[in-house]
Amino acid sequence: MRIAADRILGLALIGLAAFAAFNASQFQVNFIYEPVGPKAFPILLSAILATLSLVLVFRPGENGDWPDKRVTLKLLAVLGVLLVYALLFTRLGYVVMTFLTVLSLARLFEASWKKAAIAGALMTLGSYYLFTLGLGIALPGGHWLPDFN
Amino acid sequence: MFDFLIQGFDVALSPMNLGLAFLGALLGTLFGALPGIGPINGIAILMPLAYTLGLPAESALILLAGVYTGAEYGGRMSSILLNVPGDAGAVMTTLDGHPLAKKGLAGPALGLSAVSSFVGATIAIIGLTLFAPLLAEVAVMFGPAEFFALMVFAFASMSVMMGNDPIKTGIGAVLGVLIAMVGVDSGTGVMRYTFGMAELYDGIDFVVMIIGLFAISEILLMLEHAHGKNANQEMPPLGRVMVSAKELLYCKWAMLRSGVIGFIVGVLPGTGASVAGAVTYTTEKRLSDKHNTFGTGDMRGLAAPEAGNNASAAGSFVPMLTLGIPGSGTTAVLLGALMLYNITPGPMLFTERPEVAGGLIASLYIGNLVLLALNLPLAGLFAKTLTMPRWVLVPGIAILAFVGVYQLHSDLMAIYLMLIIGVFGYALRKLGFSLAPVILGYVLGGLMEDNLRRALSISGGEVGILWNSAISVGLWIAAVMLLVLPWLLSRAFSRKSPVTA
Repeated sequence: MRIAADRILGLALIGLAAFAAFNASQFQVNFIYEPVGPKAFPILLSAILATLSLVLVFRPGENGDWPDKRVTLKLLAVLGVLLVYALLFTRLGYVVMTFLTVLSLARLFEASWKKAAIAGALMTLGSYYLFTLGLGIALPGGHWLPDFN
Repeated sequence: MFDFLIQGFDVALSPMNLGLAFLGALLGTLFGALPGIGPINGIAILMPLAYTLGLPAESALILLAGVYTGAEYGGRMSSILLNVPGDAGAVMTTLDGHPLAKKGLAGPALGLSAVSSFVGATIAIIGLTLFAPLLAEVAVMFGPAEFFALMVFAFASMSVMMGNDPIKTGIGAVLGVLIAMVGVDSGTGVMRYTFGMAELYDGIDFVVMIIGLFAISEILLMLEHAHGKNANQEMPPLGRVMVSAKELLYCKWAMLRSGVIGFIVGVLPGTGASVAGAVTYTTEKRLSDKHNTFGTGDMRGLAAPEAGNNASAAGSFVPMLTLGIPGSGTTAVLLGALMLYNITPGPMLFTERPEVAGGLIASLYIGNLVLLALNLPLAGLFAKTLTMPRWVLVPGIAILAFVGVYQLHSDLMAIYLMLIIGVFGYALRKLGFSLAPVILGYVLGGLMEDNLRRALSISGGEVGILWNSAISVGLWIAAVMLLVLPWLLSRAFSRKSPVTA
C-alpha cells in the first residue's frame, strides 16, 4: 500500500516533468540577448525531476499513514469551511465571516457549541480591533451588507 | 574590521529596535511552544503582519530573527513536557528531556535547556561575528559561475543531510525551483507557466507561498493529530525552574562541545537544527555515555542537543548573510523576507548595508540575553500555552493566515492560491516529503537560473566556464563527494548495526 503510493507519485511526477518540459519548449521568444534563454533551465529541471522520479518508481520509500474515512471527511469539511471563508470574505465582510469560520472550525475540532460561540465572538472582535486599530489593515466590510459600510 | 558590529549595536540599541527584539523573542517563544507551530510557521504567520507595521528593513529583520531564535527556545517545551517535539530541531531533545520530566525534574530540565540553549547560541553568535566578515571577503571573489556551483553544492548537502529520504528531498527541491519559474522571465520578458492568468505574471508571491505551504497544511495535519495517538496530554508538574551550579558544571563540556559542533553544522548550507541536534546528541553519547544513562534522563543528553540546535540556528545566518545561501528552511524564509525589501544578501551586504548585517548580529546578542531572562522566570507561563486547545489554535492560525495574505493586495485570488498551495503542502507531507527543501528551492531557484545564465553570457555559451576557477572546481568536487560518500560508506559498513536514534 505504502509502496504503491510512492510508485503512483513517481509516475505522476514524471508526467509533471514531461508537461513542464513540453510547456517550456513552447515559450515564444522574440529576442535572444544571451545564449541560454528562458527555455533551457526549466527543461533541465524537468530532466532532473524525471530522473529522480524514476528512481522513486523503482525504489519506493516510506510514507506517512493515510487518514481513515472519518478523518478524511473532516479534512474535506475543514477545507470547505476555509473555501467558503475565502468566497464570502469580501461579500459578507470580515466580522460576519470570521465569526462563522471560527465557530465552524472550533466545532470541527470538537468544541461544544457554547465554547465555539464564545471563541468565535472573542476572536472576531479581538482580531478586528488588533488588525484595524493596531496594525492599520483595511478589512473588507462586506458589500452584500450595506449597513456595515 | 568590526565597524559593522559597532554600527550594528547603534542600530539594535535604539529604543524601537530593542522593543522589537523583545517582542520577537516573546512571540517566538510563544509560537514555538504552541503545539505544531515551529519556527518556520511562526515566521510565516507573523511576517505579513510585520510588513503592515511599515518597518525599515533592519527593524523587520530584527523582529523576525527574534521570532526565529525565540521559537527554537519554545520548541523544547513540548519535547520535554509532553514528549512531542515542537519542530524537527527538537526531536533529539525528547530523548533525555522527557525522561527527566517523568522523574519529576521537569523544572530543572527546562532551566538546564534554557541555559544550554543560551550557551550554544552565544558560541555560535561569536562565531558568526568572527567568521561572517571573513567569508564575505572571500565571497567577493565569487562570480556567477562560482555562485551557481555553490548552489549546486547547497542542494547536494541538503539532499544528504535533510530528511531521511535523499530522493524525496531532491524532488522537493526541484519542485520548489520549478514553482519559482512561474511568472515573467526577467531576462526576456517571456511568460512562463502563467497559463494566461494575470495574477501569476509576477510569479507566486512569497508570502502566499509560505503561508499556504506551512500554515494551511499545518491546520490540516492538526486535524489528524487530534485523532492520533498523542491526543491525551498530561502535563508533569514543573517544580522549580532553575538549575544548580553543580548541574551546570556537570554539563559544561557537553554544552561547549555541542555549541561548536552545532555552529559548524549550521554554517553548512542546507543543514539546519534537526541535523545539529542529531549530530551533537550522538557525539555526546559516544564521548560521555559511560554508564548507559543516555536516554533515561541524563542531563548531558538534554544539554547537548539543546546547545547544538540553537547554535546551528545562529550559525545558519553565516551563509545567508555572506553568500545569500540560506543554511536552513527558516533562514530561507528570512532570506525571502529580505528580498521583499529589495535587499539581496551577499558578500556586499557587510559593506553596502552594514546597518542590516550589523544590526541583525547585534540584535542576536541582545535577543539571546532577553530569551534567557524571559525563559527562566516565565517557563511556567509558556508551558501553559502547550495545553491550549486545538479549537482555539486552529481558528487563530486561519484568521492570521487569511488576513496576512489578504492585506498584501486586497485580492481574493491570492487567498485561493494559498489554499491550493496548502493542499499541495499537506499532500507532500503525507507522502513523506519535508517542506524545507521545497522552500529552499523556491527561494534559490530564481537566483540559480540568473547566475547560470549570467555565467554563460560571459563565456558566450561555453559551458566550461562553470568549472573554470579553483573555487568552482572545489565546490563541484565537494558536491559530488557529498552525494557519493554516504552511499560508499554505507556499503563499506553495511554489516555494522545502525545507530539507535
